[in-house]
Amino acid sequence: MASSGTPNAVAIWGGVCERVNSMPQVRFIRSNTFRWASAVAGVFAAFILLLFGFIYLRIDDYLVVRTDRMIGNQVTVLAALPPERRINAIEDHLAEDSRGVQFAGLFDSDGHRLAGNLARLPELKLDGTVQNAYVRRMDQEDRGAQLVRAAGQRLPTGNVLVMGRNVDEAREISHVVGQALALGLLPAFCLCLLAGAWLSVRAQRRVEEVNRRVQRIIAGNLQERLPHRDVDEPFSRLAGIVNGMLDEMEAMINALAGVGNDIAHDLRTPLTRARLALERGRTNAQSLEQLQQVVDKAIAGIDQALAIITALLRLAEIENGRRSAAFGSVALDEMLREVCDVYEPIAEDKDITLRVAISHKRIVRADRDLLFEAVANLVDNAIKFTPKGGKVDIGLLSFDDQTIVRVTDTGPGISEEERDAVLRRFYRSDKIRNTPGVGLGLSLVAAIVKLHGFHLVIHPGQGGRVDIVCPDRPGE
Amino acid sequence: MLSDKRDGRTANIGAAVGAKWMTKVLLIEDDGETAEEISAELADRGFEVAWAADGVDGLNKARALRPDAMIVDRLLPGMDGLAVIETLRKDQFSTPVLVLSALGAVDDRVRGLRMGGDDYLTKPFAIVELVARIEALLRRPVESRETTLRVGQLELDLLKRTAKRGNRQIDLLPREFRLLEYMMRRSDQLLTRAMLLEEVWNYKFVPATNLVDVHMGRLRHKVDGAGEAPMIHNVRGAGFILRNAS
Repeated sequence: MASSGTPNAVAIWGGVCERVNSMPQVRFIRSNTFRWASAVAGVFAAFILLLFGFIYLRIDDYLVVRTDRMIGNQVTVLAALPPERRINAIEDHLAEDSRGVQFAGLFDSDGHRLAGNLARLPELKLDGTVQNAYVRRMDQEDRGAQLVRAAGQRLPTGNVLVMGRNVDEAREISHVVGQALALGLLPAFCLCLLAGAWLSVRAQRRVEEVNRRVQRIIAGNLQERLPHRDVDEPFSRLAGIVNGMLDEMEAMINALAGVGNDIAHDLRTPLTRARLALERGRTNAQSLEQLQQVVDKAIAGIDQALAIITALLRLAEIENGRRSAAFGSVALDEMLREVCDVYEPIAEDKDITLRVAISHKRIVRADRDLLFEAVANLVDNAIKFTPKGGKVDIGLLSFDDQTIVRVTDTGPGISEEERDAVLRRFYRSDKIRNTPGVGLGLSLVAAIVKLHGFHLVIHPGQGGRVDIVCPDRPGE
Repeated sequence: MLSDKRDGRTANIGAAVGAKWMTKVLLIEDDGETAEEISAELADRGFEVAWAADGVDGLNKARALRPDAMIVDRLLPGMDGLAVIETLRKDQFSTPVLVLSALGAVDDRVRGLRMGGDDYLTKPFAIVELVARIEALLRRPVESRETTLRVGQLELDLLKRTAKRGNRQIDLLPREFRLLEYMMRRSDQLLTRAMLLEEVWNYKFVPATNLVDVHMGRLRHKVDGAGEAPMIHNVRGAGFILRNAS
């Protein structure tokens, strides 16, 4: 039976393959999903066959045991009967066997048949134990010798009683069960392969869709995104993550392009001025004095351009975090006083009151030079944009779990719309377009603050207010 | 800037007379054009300049010439500029060195130069800055036990933290005192804004505002009173010099 299942399975396999080959999309057979599905189907089939073999063996075993018990009983019963009733009993027993599976025979001591359906005495031990024996039945002479379970017993009269039973029906039952299983296995196997094929085609389509879109992204279409369904499924989640990455990259590339333009513009302006000055000076200068003036102008223009490059390189250096080695303990209160000390005369010159208000002492882990630069930049900006007679305050505030360095001024402040823009490189508010400066100050501050793990908060509205928020870290 | 140049030329003439004592500077720089500009400027200022285009040549020249100061480019073909210096230092060669470094290449090793009495400058730099720093390296102030600094009539008492010019008492804020002390220790020397920022205010960056000028303006106002000959001079485009007024 086990062997009858395998050719069946092969036939099914071949059938599916043929059908698959006739489909327009053959590639999915090579896909992993389909291979997995096939493997699963194969394992499933093998398991079913094993199961069937097991069931077969169990049934066979059971039937043999049952038959043996029956034969044993019959021999005991018939042996116990008086000899005159024994022949009748044997005939009755055989008459009841409509299926023709019972064997019985009574032979005299010479081996001549007295009753039953056995042609002659089979070869078997005559001790009443049930055993395998080859017997010939008188009414089924054409079938020849059949292997049956049988038991022989020599009776006190000298006669020999043989009882037997054909156990071929166990094989018949197995055959029926096997057919049923094969019938069940065939659709299951087909279903397995079909599911595999369907999943494979589906996955293939999605991957191809992704490929197409990625190709478009590579070609420069940065707005393209991967297909994404709103379900919690690994593929969708992956697509979601990749899309998030693309969003970030698109923003960065756009920002970079913007920065490129800004750099070009900001560098071109002073360089153009320098070039014009030199060109005009070369033709127009009448005296050494005039030429020197021109050269001074040109140098100033080039210095401005160099200052931009220096600031950019510094920004890159800080953003790459290459300076984290210089971290140490910094007393914020002392540092703020120093900043105030440095900027006091500048504020005074502009008739601005610069004050520092410190509520408590606080030590943070920081790169002192960089943090000083950040605060100095904020104060520098505040003084620059505050009109004459205004006020600039530096404060160190303490809250439950954070310390804030706050720089406030009475200048125009930063509007809500401008808030993100001011952190962009080279951004200059239209209001202050003609104020000197490189336009990288706040970007630098933001980069420094980020390097320290602090936050920069710019409060919009009238009057500038910028906070550097230092979260308290336990164990510091 | 120009006036300063003229001063330089005068000095040059003076130096040329006693050629024996001319200060020798070894320049190790692989870019020929930059080297030429630097050499010309230093020669104008009365230095004797030797040029080496790579580290190995530089090492040989340094050993042979025994220069008073060296200018070493950080990025040299064949050998790192810092490696050249380290090799020389191992030979007990204590010549002060000014390292030229690209801004992106300023690391802790380069920063450490200032601690060791040497100096570094990031490219691109103004030539006056380079000259000022070389001069500062050559004229490192000697540590003295003197508690009073004197430049002409100007006196600074480091213990009492007081200053006076002649008989006139000068009231100085602590930050002004620090600035004046630094300048008096280096009188007659051109001090660039960058040097002052680094040394007096411990600033590691160039601020947007002309901080130095404002502070210097305040100090000058106090030091050079009405009717007095100026002692603090602004050298246009370069920096400041404190000079004896007479």
